[in-house]
Amino acid sequence: MEARTVRLLVNGRTHEVALDPNVTLLQVLRDLGHTDVKSGCEKGDCGACAVLLDGKAVNSCLVLAWQAEGAEILTNAGLGTISDPHPIQEAFADAGAIQCGFCTPGMIVATKALLDRNPNPAEAEIREALSGNLCRCTGYGQIVEAVRLSAERLRDLGSSPASSLAGIRSASEDGREADPEDRLLVEGDETEAGEEA
Amino acid sequence: MTLPAFELRQASSIAETLEILASEPKAQPLAGGTCLLVDARARKIRPETLVDLSRVTELRGIERDGDELVIGAMVTIAELLDSPLVAEHAPVLTAVCRKFAAALIRNRATIGGNLAHASPAADTAPPLLVLDAAIELRARGSVRHAPVAEFLVGPCRSDRRPGELLVSVRIPIRPAETRFAYEKIRLRKADAISVVSAAALHDRGDGAIRLALGAVAPTPIRARSAEGALKKSGLTPEGIADAARRAAEDVRPIDDIRGAADYRSRAVEVLVRRCLERLRGDGGEGPDGG
Amino acid sequence: MDNVQPKPLPDVELPPLKQVGKPLRRVDALGKAVGATAYAADFTMPNMLHAKVLRSDRPHARIVRLDVSKARALPGVVCVLTGEDVKGAKLNTDMPGQTGRAARAGSDAPVLALDVVRYVGEPMALVAAETLETAEQALGLIEIEYEDLPAVFDPEEAMAPGAPILFAPDNVVSRYKIRKGDLESGMAEADLVVENTFRMPFVEHAYLEPDGGVAWVDEQGVINIRVCTQVVEHFRSVARALGVPQNRVRIRGTMVGGGFGSKEDVTVEIFLAFLTRETGRPVKLVYTREEAFAATSKRHPFTVTHRTGVKRDGRITASQVEMVADSGAYPYLTPYVLLYATGMATGPYRIDNVHVDSVAAATNQTYTSAFRGFGGPQAALGYEQQMDEIAKALDMDPLEVRRVNYMGTGDTTCTGQAITSAAWSEECATRALHVLGERSSGSPTVRIGRGLASYFQSYGRITWFHDTSRAWVGVEQDGTVVLRCGVPDIGAGQSNSICQIAAEILGVPLERVTIYATDSAVTPLAGTSTATRQLYMSGNAVSMAAGEIRKNLVGFASGELGVAPDRIDLGDGRALVVDEPSRSIELDDLAKRCAAVGIELSHLAQFNAPFTDGIDPETGQGDIWPDFTFGAVAVEVAVDVETGEIDLRKCAACHDVGRSINPAAVEGQIAGGTHQGLGYALMEDFVLDRGLIATPSFAEYLIPTSVDFPTTDVIILESGTGVGPFGAKGIGEPALTPAAPAVANAVADALGVRISELPLTPERVLRAVDRARAEGPLE
Repeated sequence: MEARTVRLLVNGRTHEVALDPNVTLLQVLRDLGHTDVKSGCEKGDCGACAVLLDGKAVNSCLVLAWQAEGAEILTNAGLGTISDPHPIQEAFADAGAIQCGFCTPGMIVATKALLDRNPNPAEAEIREALSGNLCRCTGYGQIVEAVRLSAERLRDLGSSPASSLAGIRSASEDGREADPEDRLLVEGDETEAGEEA
Repeated sequence: MTLPAFELRQASSIAETLEILASEPKAQPLAGGTCLLVDARARKIRPETLVDLSRVTELRGIERDGDELVIGAMVTIAELLDSPLVAEHAPVLTAVCRKFAAALIRNRATIGGNLAHASPAADTAPPLLVLDAAIELRARGSVRHAPVAEFLVGPCRSDRRPGELLVSVRIPIRPAETRFAYEKIRLRKADAISVVSAAALHDRGDGAIRLALGAVAPTPIRARSAEGALKKSGLTPEGIADAARRAAEDVRPIDDIRGAADYRSRAVEVLVRRCLERLRGDGGEGPDGG
Repeated sequence: MDNVQPKPLPDVELPPLKQVGKPLRRVDALGKAVGATAYAADFTMPNMLHAKVLRSDRPHARIVRLDVSKARALPGVVCVLTGEDVKGAKLNTDMPGQTGRAARAGSDAPVLALDVVRYVGEPMALVAAETLETAEQALGLIEIEYEDLPAVFDPEEAMAPGAPILFAPDNVVSRYKIRKGDLESGMAEADLVVENTFRMPFVEHAYLEPDGGVAWVDEQGVINIRVCTQVVEHFRSVARALGVPQNRVRIRGTMVGGGFGSKEDVTVEIFLAFLTRETGRPVKLVYTREEAFAATSKRHPFTVTHRTGVKRDGRITASQVEMVADSGAYPYLTPYVLLYATGMATGPYRIDNVHVDSVAAATNQTYTSAFRGFGGPQAALGYEQQMDEIAKALDMDPLEVRRVNYMGTGDTTCTGQAITSAAWSEECATRALHVLGERSSGSPTVRIGRGLASYFQSYGRITWFHDTSRAWVGVEQDGTVVLRCGVPDIGAGQSNSICQIAAEILGVPLERVTIYATDSAVTPLAGTSTATRQLYMSGNAVSMAAGEIRKNLVGFASGELGVAPDRIDLGDGRALVVDEPSRSIELDDLAKRCAAVGIELSHLAQFNAPFTDGIDPETGQGDIWPDFTFGAVAVEVAVDVETGEIDLRKCAACHDVGRSINPAAVEGQIAGGTHQGLGYALMEDFVLDRGLIATPSFAEYLIPTSVDFPTTDVIILESGTGVGPFGAKGIGEPALTPAAPAVANAVADALGVRISELPLTPERVLRAVDRARAEGPLE
C-alpha cells in the first residue's frame, strides 16, 4: 500500500499525518488522541463513532481517512470541555441522559447535527435523528428530554442557526407537533398514498 | 479490526474516474462505503484498488432535464430525502428514503451505491422500478443507458461491466395526479434490512399500475403478472385481491435470519393489497396508527 | 384491568434529606458528556503491543494440530501463546469477587483450549505484535487441524443417554429442588389444574463498549491490568491462573461502558496478564463486536413448565415448576443463575405447596452466565405468563387473580424465606395499569392488547456467600470530602450514589465530594457490581464510614459551640446548631481544628451482609437473599394480524425502590431495564445454528433503537423498608424482570392465544393468528 500525508482538520486543529489508504477516520481520530470518538462495532450499526463531517453526522468507521481530507471534522470533545461545556453537553448531564456514557459522544454529535438544521424539533424528529445511535442503558427517554432541553437552552442563548430547509421541515413555534399535513417526517406518513400538488 | 490493504485512487472528475477504471481493471468504485467497507472489513471482498468518488462533484446534483429527473449517482439518501424536486416528482422515492437504514447511514449511503451493490433488499430499487427509472453507465469512450430492472441481475450482482461507472439515475417525470404507496416490514423500526417491501404507483396519465417488491426474490422485481391482471380488472376489491395473490405467487423468497420464505410470501400478499387499497383511496392502517 | 385505580399507599414517614433524594447532576456526568472520561480502550502505554485471540470456529472438535510457527515467524510478532504454553492454566470462573466461601469444584474453564474446543469462539491462542494489523495477520497464519466431534445443542438432548459429555459425568452442571408443603394435597384441593410450558432464547448483553484493556508490569514487578470490569477482585482469579501471589496482580477498573453481567466474568484480563508477563511489555487487547458476541457470556435459555392448582376464586393451592436451562459449554455462573430462577420460580405469590425441579445442562454453545436478573427474568416469564393463563382458564381479570395471591410482608417465598420489607405488588400493579389510561381502539386488522406483569427480584448476593463491602471516607483540611471505594461503576451511578450518601451524611454539597474508585491496590475492596448489591453494600459501608466521621465532627463541634451533640447538624458545608443556624462552624475550619487535636477525620468501614449457611439440599428451604424488590410493568400493544408486526403503544413501570438516592438515576435504571426487557420480548434472539452463530453483529442481533418504543412512564414508590442506606432497596436488575412477560401477556390478550416462545417475531405472531382463527378467539 502507498501511504500519503493527509491533512485533517479536527475540532479546528490541523493534523498532518502519513496514512495508508485503508485507515478509517475512526482509527486515525483515535490514534491522534481523539478518544472521545468511540469504537462500538466498526461497521456502521451503532453510531458510537459519530462525528460531524462538514456539518453532517456520519459513522466515522465508514469514512476513510483520506476521504476526510479537506472537510471540517467536529467530534464531541470539540464542542466543549469540562471547564467550558457546550449547552448540549450540559443538558445531557443535567437531564440524567448519561448512564454508562459510551453512546454519549455519538448521541451529542447527532444532536448537534439535528439542532443545527432544526432548532425546535418535535419528539418524533428527535427520535428519528438519533435512530442510528444505539443506547443500551437509558431506554432513550431521558436522552429525548436532554435534546429538548438542549434546544430550549440554545434558543434562549439565541445561538442556533436557522434551518435553511424551512420549506421542507416545518418547525412549529413552540415545539409542539407541526401540522401532519406539512411534515414529511411524521412516523406513519410512509403508509399514505402520496398525492401530487 | 483493520480493513484489508488496498490502493485508493481519489478521482475529481468522471473522466478521471473512467480513466482509472479503464487502465486498472481490478479497480472498484467506492461510493458511500456503507456496504463496501463493511464487506471489506469482513473479508467478504478483498478489493485491490478502490476509486473514491467522494470528490467527483459531477456525480452529485439533482436536476430536472426536460421530462426526466436526473439524480447523480453520488447523491446521498439524506440529500434525496431533503430534495424538493424528488418530493415533487418522485415522492415514492422520498417515502422510501425516510425509512432507509438510520439517520447516520443516510448521510453517506448513495443512490448509486445502493443500486450497484444490488442487494435483493436494496431499498431504492422498488421505487425506481415502479418509476421505470433507468441508469446511465459510462466507460471510457462509451455511454449506456439501462432500465434499473435490467441492471439488477442477481443477488449482489449488477450488470455493471468492467470499466463502467454508474453515473446517474434518470426518472421519467409523471403527470401530477400520480399516486403512490409504499410498505415495508422489518424487525425493528430503524436500521434493519427489509424483510419484505412493496412499492406501487398509479400513473393517472397512462392509467397503468406498477408494482415492485423487495427482499423476496434474487433481485428486487416488478410484479408483472399482478400488474397484467390489474390492467384488466382495475382497482376493484376483487382485482386487488387477485393481484395480491398473483404477486405472492410471483416471488421466490428464501429462508434467512430475518424471516422464513412462507412468511415472506404471505406478507407480500398483504403489503401488495394494502398498497393497492391505498392507491384506490381506501386508507386502512398499519399497527403504528399511520 | 381497565380503569384501574391505584391502591392507596400506607403512610410512610421518610425523613427529609438534603442531598439524597434529589436528582442532582451525577459526579460522572460532565466528564462523560464532554468526552473526557477515559474508557478501557482509550488508554495507551509506551512500547505497547497489540494482542489478538485465535478462536475456535467449531462447536465441538479435538485439536489435532495447532501450528503457530508461521505466526511466530512473522516480523513484528513478539509472542504467541497456546494452551500448551500456558501449561493448561485454568480460570476459576466461580463466585467472582467473593471474600467468603471456597469456590465450587469443577467450574473452571481453560484459559486457552487444550486438546478440545467446546464452542464456537473458544479461545485457542494469543498473539502479541507491534501493530494490530500484524497481530491480525499472524492469526491468519496459525494452522489448525480439527477433528470434529459429535456435538449437542439442546440441554434435554445433552442429558439423554449417548450424548457427548462436556461436563462429567452426565452434562448436568447444576440441579435444585424445592419441596414446600404438600403438593399432592394442594393439587387435590384445587378446582382446576393449569399447565403450560414457556421458552426463552439466548440473549446477548449488547453493551456498547467492547471488552478490552491494557496490561503492563510495573516497577515493582506487579502485573497491572486496566480493564472494563464489574469485578475488581478478579485479580485473585488471574493470580491463581498465572501461579503468582494475589498481591502481585493489580486491577485498575475503568468506567465501564455497560456490562449487564457480561463483564462479571473474566474477559480480557487473563490474556493480558499472560502476554504482558511473557513479553515484559505493555499489551492492549480490545474485542471486536463480533468477538464480544461470540466470546462472552449469554443469558441462559430456559424452558419453564408450570402446573398450577387453583380454586375458582383464583387462589393458588399448589404449584409445580420444572425448569431446564442451557449452561452452554462451560459452567461459569450457571449454578447460581439456576438457583435464582429456582428460588424465585413461583413469583411474588403466597403458595403453601410448591415443588420446583430445576436443572442446567452443558451444550456446545456459547457459555451462559450472568445477565441482569440472573434467572429472575426467566422465572418471571414463567410465573407471570402462567398467572395470565390461570386468569383465562378461570375467566377472571388478570389483576384480580394476582390480587388474590400476592405475598405480603411476613409471607414466605417458595424456599420459606420470609418477606421482611414492604411487598407493594398491588400498589405497583395498579399504578402501572392506571397510567396506561384509556385503552386504544383497534380495527379489524389491528388488535389491541394489554398486559401486566408483577414480579419480585432479590437484591444483594446469596447470603451464604458472606458478602462484604468496604469504603473509606475522609474529610480534607479544606472541608472537601474524599471517598475511596473499590466499586466498579458500570453506568448505573454506582459511584455517584455513594458520593451523594457521603454528601448527605457529612452535610456538604455533592460537588465537594471526589471519589477514587475501582483500583484493587489502593481502594478498599467493595465487591462486585452485580446482583443489585452495590447501593446496598457499598452504600451501607459509606454510610458507616461517613457516620463515624460525622460523630467525630459533631462531637467536637458540640464542644466548640457549647451545645449537646444532638443539637448539632451538618449541612451546607458547616456544623450548625439546630434552630440557631447562625451559630455554626464552617467545615474546613472544623476539620483543621479536629486535625490539630488528633481527631480522626477519616474512616474505613466494612459492611457485612447477613451471613447464612445455605438451603436444605432436599427441600430447598432456607433464606437465600437479604431482601427483595417488588414492582410491575404494564404495556399496551397493537398487533397487526395480517403482517404480524407488533407496535408497543404504551409502557408503564412502577417499582418500590425503598428510597431513591438519585431519582433521575432511578428513573434511568427503570426506563433502561424496561427497555432491555422489551427488546427481550420483541426482537432479541442470539441464534446459534448447530453451534454456529447466525447473529454475529448488531446488524443481525437487533436491540431497540430510539424509534422503536415510546418513553416508558416511570413511577417510583418509596416504602423506606429496604436494607440499603436510608431504607433503599435495589433497582438495577428488578427494573428488567417484569417487562418481557408484560409484553407476552399483552400480545396474548390481543390475539386470544399465547405465543409461548420469545421473541415475539411477526412470523410467530402470524402462526398464532392462524391458531386463534382455528380455535376461535379471532375471526
